[in-house]
Amino acid sequence: MTKTLIVTGAGGVGKTTLSAGLGVSLARSGHTTLVLTIDPARRLADTLGVAALDDIPRQVANEPHLHAAMLDVSASWEAIIHRYADPDVADRLLVNPYFRAMADRFPAAQSYAAAERMAEYIESGHYDVLIVDTPPSEGGIDFFLAPAKTGDLISGKLLRWLTGSSLPGRSILYRFTARPMLRLADTVLGGAMLSDVADFLLDLRTMYDQLSVRSKAIERHLRAAETVIATTADPTPIHETRRFFDELAGIKIAPTAILFNQMLPQSWIASDLTAGRLEIDDKDLAVVATRNLSLWASEARRHSVAARELSARYGLPVHELTWQVPPPTTLDDLADLVADVTVLAD
Amino acid sequence: MVAEFWRYAGMMLTTDFVLVTGKGGTGKSAVTAALAIERARRGQSVLAIDLGSGLGLGAHLRAPNLRYRPTEVRAGLWAMTMVRAAALDEYLKTQLHVPQGAPTKTITSALNVLVDTAPGVREIISIGKPVFELWKGTWDAVIVDTPSLGQFQSYLRAPETISDLVPTGTIKRQASSLAEVLADPSTTQVIIVANPAELPVLETLEAIEAIEAEHLCPRPSIVMNRTVRSAGFTADQLKLLPTGPIKEAAEHQLSIEALQSRWISEIDVDVSLPYLMGVLTPGEVALHLADELSSR
Repeated sequence: MTKTLIVTGAGGVGKTTLSAGLGVSLARSGHTTLVLTIDPARRLADTLGVAALDDIPRQVANEPHLHAAMLDVSASWEAIIHRYADPDVADRLLVNPYFRAMADRFPAAQSYAAAERMAEYIESGHYDVLIVDTPPSEGGIDFFLAPAKTGDLISGKLLRWLTGSSLPGRSILYRFTARPMLRLADTVLGGAMLSDVADFLLDLRTMYDQLSVRSKAIERHLRAAETVIATTADPTPIHETRRFFDELAGIKIAPTAILFNQMLPQSWIASDLTAGRLEIDDKDLAVVATRNLSLWASEARRHSVAARELSARYGLPVHELTWQVPPPTTLDDLADLVADVTVLAD
Repeated sequence: MVAEFWRYAGMMLTTDFVLVTGKGGTGKSAVTAALAIERARRGQSVLAIDLGSGLGLGAHLRAPNLRYRPTEVRAGLWAMTMVRAAALDEYLKTQLHVPQGAPTKTITSALNVLVDTAPGVREIISIGKPVFELWKGTWDAVIVDTPSLGQFQSYLRAPETISDLVPTGTIKRQASSLAEVLADPSTTQVIIVANPAELPVLETLEAIEAIEAEHLCPRPSIVMNRTVRSAGFTADQLKLLPTGPIKEAAEHQLSIEALQSRWISEIDVDVSLPYLMGVLTPGEVALHLADELSSR
């Protein structure tokens, strides 16, 4: 059985770095681990060996139990289409501009691709542990809602409206042009936009039965996974964290921990308050160095307040992770960053 | 019937159109709010529009519950947020000019289908609203907080995307007048907010390259937000400090200064804004940044 950990949170808080760190540390305790990354910074990608242009998991150099893969949204959707659509429909869809636009831009499409990949890796049975770094969202929990949203798009709700039929088939398009109101709408909107959309949706619709079964399976994997939320003390990620908790509660997913990244040492706060004069010969240096501690201590205080507030509000452990400059990229530094974090414990 | 936007074609626009974008987490909304506050302080009448969905502009303007209808959040500064349904409705009424007696409900539903499926339509409706406000001619400046670099580029590309899909029609005509405004350097100014760190800088460089190659908008200005100011000591002075928090904080400071200058050297920075230490609320952040902008 693969145990899955989903690392979610606002953009820019270090989700990918934390996912990699947790991967290294779980691999080092003997679990065959796969980290599915979304868009790692260059040096982290180099360390994980995911700089290649495909999304095939590879063993990470010098880390025998650790494997890494990078999400390729287009490739994932092509694989989905080939798997679930008839060959002639697949050929049509893959060159359809509406399909390309959906795969490239529909926010749920990127999340769906990630969730589908996650499910494949779980079902492969190759890994003891799978760590999923989640795609950036337009705010909120896109990743968790993607199966349902994608299902809506494909379910034919829109299509039924367009064709006025409960069971649309290709012959319905003929009747489409016979509906004067839609013809007028097309004239106002331009060209044959609506009928092109209907055409595209008809093709998608042929995959509906299989994709909806698939979406249900993916949702089960999402529910069975452990979810942690990463944040920093900045107002935007804190706000997003609250939103994540609210929205996840709505779909009955309870995060198990908060990873609070980029914390400063709490010892700086006490030291700033008690610091007397710094007795060194270079008086100018004494002044600027003391003021520097004061400034960073005010940051440390802000971090500490934010972390305590979150912990109290949600009654969850907050793992405080030290702010490393530059961010860790070697395997050892990645493992060090999350050394005190316990996840996926039974 | 002549669509309203044709009346503006070729007209001199006297409003500044400022589009703010950047990688998530760089402080776009804070910078947008600061730019708006700074202009309002100079006596301009300003409309700030939130097209994003994060903590957003509202929190930074101390008006957390922004609505579609602009509200005055401080003297001279009005703010609104994008609400898809309301924007669709307005688009239909003021831009598409549905003929009298036409089934408005059907067309609204049709537009809704397109928003969910057809590339470019959602984007045209989002970026359309700020441009309609521009065309009204009642503001000195319209300042827009856009969601992310990727989303911003799809706004810029939307008119062309639509032209590729539909040969004729109102949406297409309207889209091409949007494209003209977006590409016009006498009206439109694009600001990319970055931080002095690897991903924000690299993503900004990639975005600039794409934008310039496609000539979609004037050359963006770079605001380097969250730049930690130099503390005034150097690495060789570290050994003069006794072991303990003062030295640790000094080391932390110098590591940040070094990392920052590495990334700042990769990009031409137009405005540098400071990392604000110990500042707690989004509203305070925006006011501090506005002070910084005023002092220039």
